[in-house]
Amino acid sequence: MEEKLEQYLRHLPKVEPGRSLAPSVMARIAERARPSYRRYKRWVVALAAAALFVLMLTTNLPLTPRLELFGYRTVRLVFCSTVRNPKTVAVAGDFSDWESIPMERVDENCFALTLRLRPGKYEYGFLVDGKWVPDPLSLRAVADGFGSVNSILVVDGDTE
Amino acid sequence: MWEQSDREIIQEVLNGNKDLFAVLVARYEKPIFNYVYGLVRQRQDAEDLTQEAFVKAFFALRTYKDSFEFSTWMYRIARNVCLDYFRRQKIRSFFSLNTPVGEEEEDELGDFLPEGKDPEEGVLKEELLERVSQAVGQLPLKFREVIVLRYVEELSYEEIARILDVPVGTVKTYLHRAKAKLRELLGEEFS
Repeated sequence: MEEKLEQYLRHLPKVEPGRSLAPSVMARIAERARPSYRRYKRWVVALAAAALFVLMLTTNLPLTPRLELFGYRTVRLVFCSTVRNPKTVAVAGDFSDWESIPMERVDENCFALTLRLRPGKYEYGFLVDGKWVPDPLSLRAVADGFGSVNSILVVDGDTE
Repeated sequence: MWEQSDREIIQEVLNGNKDLFAVLVARYEKPIFNYVYGLVRQRQDAEDLTQEAFVKAFFALRTYKDSFEFSTWMYRIARNVCLDYFRRQKIRSFFSLNTPVGEEEEDELGDFLPEGKDPEEGVLKEELLERVSQAVGQLPLKFREVIVLRYVEELSYEEIARILDVPVGTVKTYLHRAKAKLRELLGEEFS
């Protein structure tokens, strides 16, 4: 019986590949042997990250990623007064239910404020020492119904 | 016609004539494929794993030592590639690899009918051969591979021992236990 089993085992089918594998093997080898990038990928990525980090620290290029949590966008409003050395500057708009928000002085005539807004279109203006002033840098404005104008702020995003 | 030996080809490949590696692939693709197929029992996977084994061999060629035949070294690489495959497939119990024999294999089994035999005897043998093939597929991997290496690849105990990196005595033990398990699986006909 041992002999019979061995006889059958010796007749188990020899299966051959459907085609010659040599061309595919050589193609794979050529693909993996393709130089440099794959081999140095780790170093290239590390160097690029280091370069980006240095640029973020040493330049004013807009490289810092914006944290846009839950659909909010970060918007920086800057107002530079033509009146010399104003005492207070605030911003008010439909994004604040027209409540005024004081802006921070960044130099003698300029004030700035960073807001987190959802994408959309907003009306707003500045209060310079209590006087309503539309944003001189905004290209769009609408009448406010009180004889003055409101500036238009468009926050880009999925909804715009 | 003069034919370069494996070692001469390897030396030339290492010297930069990389295309010559295709000669080694052509020389050993059938036995290596057959061995891999015997383990994984799936044609497409076997082709892919065989190719992968040759690619690994190419990139490890500098580590090849003359103390082995190239074919033995290739079997060892193919074996490791298959073990990785099984790990990836998370196949821990090799008994679960009971792949049914498909039509393609049935055709191949038909090719192995002994010539000039009584047709009825031939039919009987074909059925038995199919059962034996299926039973081999049910063996645990370490038993299945010694059966494939010994009876399909027709390697010596010493060669099998080198491929599996175990003593010759262990190979004989595995074979003995594999055949006992086969007889158990095949029932009366072989016991």
